[in-house]
Amino acid sequence: MAKRNYRPLASVKALQKTMGRYYALTNYHRYWGKPFRRPLAWVTSGAPVELLRSFKIHSAYPEQYAAIYSARNTTVALCEIADSAGYSQDLCSYARSNIGGVLRPDLAPLGGMPKPDLLVACNNICGTVLKWYEALARHFNIPLLVLDTPYLTDEMTQQAKDYVLEQLYAMAVDLEKITGRPFNEKNLAKQMRQSAEITSLWKETRQYCQANPSPLNAPDLFIHMAPIVVLRGSQEGIDYYRKLKAEVKERVALGQGAVENERIRLVWDNIAIWPQLFTFYKMFADKGACFVSDTYSGGWASLQSPGTPMESLATTYTEVFLNRSPEFRANQLINLIRDYKADGFVMHSNRSCKPYSLVQEVIRKKVMRETGVPGLMIEADMADLRAYAEEPVRNRVQAFLETFD
Amino acid sequence: MSEITEHVKNKSLELLLEEATLNGAARILRYPKSRFFGYFCSYFPEELILAAGLEPLRLLPDTGNSTPAELPAYCCSLAKGTLDMEIRGKWQDLAGIGFTHTCDTMQCLSGIWAASGHSKTIDIVPPVMLNTSGASRYYLAEMHSLLNSLMALTQNKINKEALQDALKLCTYTRKLATELDALRPDLPSQMVSSLMRAGQVMPRLDYSQALEKCLPALKEMAEPNQHRLKVLISGAVVENDSLFAMIEDLGGRVVADDTCTGYRHYSGPTVMEAEDPLVDIVRRYTEMPPCPCKNRSLNERMAYLNDLAHQRQVKCAIIVIRKYCDPHAWDAVALSESFRNSGIRTLTLELEGADVGGQERTRLQAFLESMKADSEL
Repeated sequence: MAKRNYRPLASVKALQKTMGRYYALTNYHRYWGKPFRRPLAWVTSGAPVELLRSFKIHSAYPEQYAAIYSARNTTVALCEIADSAGYSQDLCSYARSNIGGVLRPDLAPLGGMPKPDLLVACNNICGTVLKWYEALARHFNIPLLVLDTPYLTDEMTQQAKDYVLEQLYAMAVDLEKITGRPFNEKNLAKQMRQSAEITSLWKETRQYCQANPSPLNAPDLFIHMAPIVVLRGSQEGIDYYRKLKAEVKERVALGQGAVENERIRLVWDNIAIWPQLFTFYKMFADKGACFVSDTYSGGWASLQSPGTPMESLATTYTEVFLNRSPEFRANQLINLIRDYKADGFVMHSNRSCKPYSLVQEVIRKKVMRETGVPGLMIEADMADLRAYAEEPVRNRVQAFLETFD
Repeated sequence: MSEITEHVKNKSLELLLEEATLNGAARILRYPKSRFFGYFCSYFPEELILAAGLEPLRLLPDTGNSTPAELPAYCCSLAKGTLDMEIRGKWQDLAGIGFTHTCDTMQCLSGIWAASGHSKTIDIVPPVMLNTSGASRYYLAEMHSLLNSLMALTQNKINKEALQDALKLCTYTRKLATELDALRPDLPSQMVSSLMRAGQVMPRLDYSQALEKCLPALKEMAEPNQHRLKVLISGAVVENDSLFAMIEDLGGRVVADDTCTGYRHYSGPTVMEAEDPLVDIVRRYTEMPPCPCKNRSLNERMAYLNDLAHQRQVKCAIIVIRKYCDPHAWDAVALSESFRNSGIRTLTLELEGADVGGQERTRLQAFLESMKADSEL
């Protein structure tokens, strides 16, 4: 058996316990949701979940389930169900596998997702989520609430902020009707405080990776981001990230790196290649290359904007990096390379995520020009293994890593 | 097309058909006094371009096979083709290029263009949820921002009178296009497609004058045809008439058109009621039949297209998906289901660009022949 060249985290057990509890609660929602008057919402990863939590709505994340489907190698079968229902093979593989799981839950891991009472989408991550959630709303015949966050070609504008804020107040009215609970700003403020604490813990944990050697590698970041996606605003999330931070801090104090004999420090751009999570990054770890930071899981490390809870929600959720210009994103990558003393970067040109991927070549050129470090582009898909050509990818990775010899 | 113009020696008609074939390629030679401003999407307000003293030019790719290094292969040929033309200097005479945030690709293309192109770019980010709280206020503010950007670009003030004149010209053009659209069942499909597209690639006043002049001739040409299969077509940008010609060749007739470059570009209300012309412009773009990138309510687009199909008594629908055009691909599923529920047979046709070949002919032929066979039973 090939030797593993990375150091596993003890926090994985706490992660499994935290996430196991969340999935158990979610999958058995039908037993407790109605008695406790707590509807189940399917939400996009960029939806203002703190507002939903303030109404005691339980949220489930189709994107995260799709990542699980992929890690368990069921994406292709589920996508084929969606394909035969008429959805083009070129559409997002998260969306298609989710729809496949809706149409054939018997084929989906965990028995598919539990049936939702409402849908909440925010288009700050892409336009696909609107079309995807429209399809779900037609299928389930349930309310669809959409937060339209205008794309920021430059800085946030007053009109965009006012527009998003007005929608959030309208969404609160809709949620009052759906849940039968009144909007309570204090509840929202509490959720926001807890969410801010989780974000700070995640940010601080990530910053430890500026140490040499880095205590975490990309697979660690991708696996341990799960609670910040689904448990933003929760005490369980805070408890978990305190543990993780303590372990990572200790690693730094002991000089323990995630990758043995770290000699190349890299930054990752785009969503993980979930079905190849360990084999792909092992190619790098075997050569002493560690991904010390990434733009994707870092998306959840942005601190909240100031203002009232609603104002803060409006700005924070509109300013997410995928809703920003290539100029902004290039600068973000440049800062990561400088702050984390990276020797290079790898971009995943992800067929399923156009807003993340189409601008990458322009960003790659700018980052290489301004930092002087090399950048590699790999074409694949975050979930659909059919888009991953193993040998060409291996050859490109090897050639890239040889440039550091 | 030549046999059509041979029968009708109408100079205005010939001009419009030529302009549609050129897609704006000869603009400098033909209209040396005009300054053009490029745009991609029907949601970019032409009124503001005209009020700025510029001529709106819809940017269309000259080939479906471009592969600029700045874009990956899994990107639509509209984006790849037009960006490739920018890199080849084909748009260098333009005063600027306007981007509307509609799909993810257009959103990305704006940033890529600004980083790697030579042209000045201007953005407008309309609301996606057109009927949601605060959308009209936000849209109006965006419209004012666009006006300011255009004034900065041209170094000229755009006054209310200029906006009202532009609104009047657009209103008149849309009225003429609506008259043309009403003649659609009785005119060759590819000719109407050309005439609609001409109005997006040549100076607007010249277009409306030419269309006005040739409408009587078109009415004369119109021949009620009971034998052709009545087809509805829905899709994104279609930069040439090859699909329309093939439908016609196979015994069909496009009697209802919901393409970005077809009648959808002109359809919807144009009002001139408000003190601020921008309010009227916002209202028009909010109330025009939505494309898949916009949402007025969950099923409004499906309901509109079903109504249109019934008004025009269509027998079948063809949904054209440009390869990698996500919004249209998403809507194709719900749209074909809603058509099926209304008894309208539907074919979803995926095309790399606008050109159709042997493979498409086989599919179209089988589809249209099956429709004919059903109607003969």
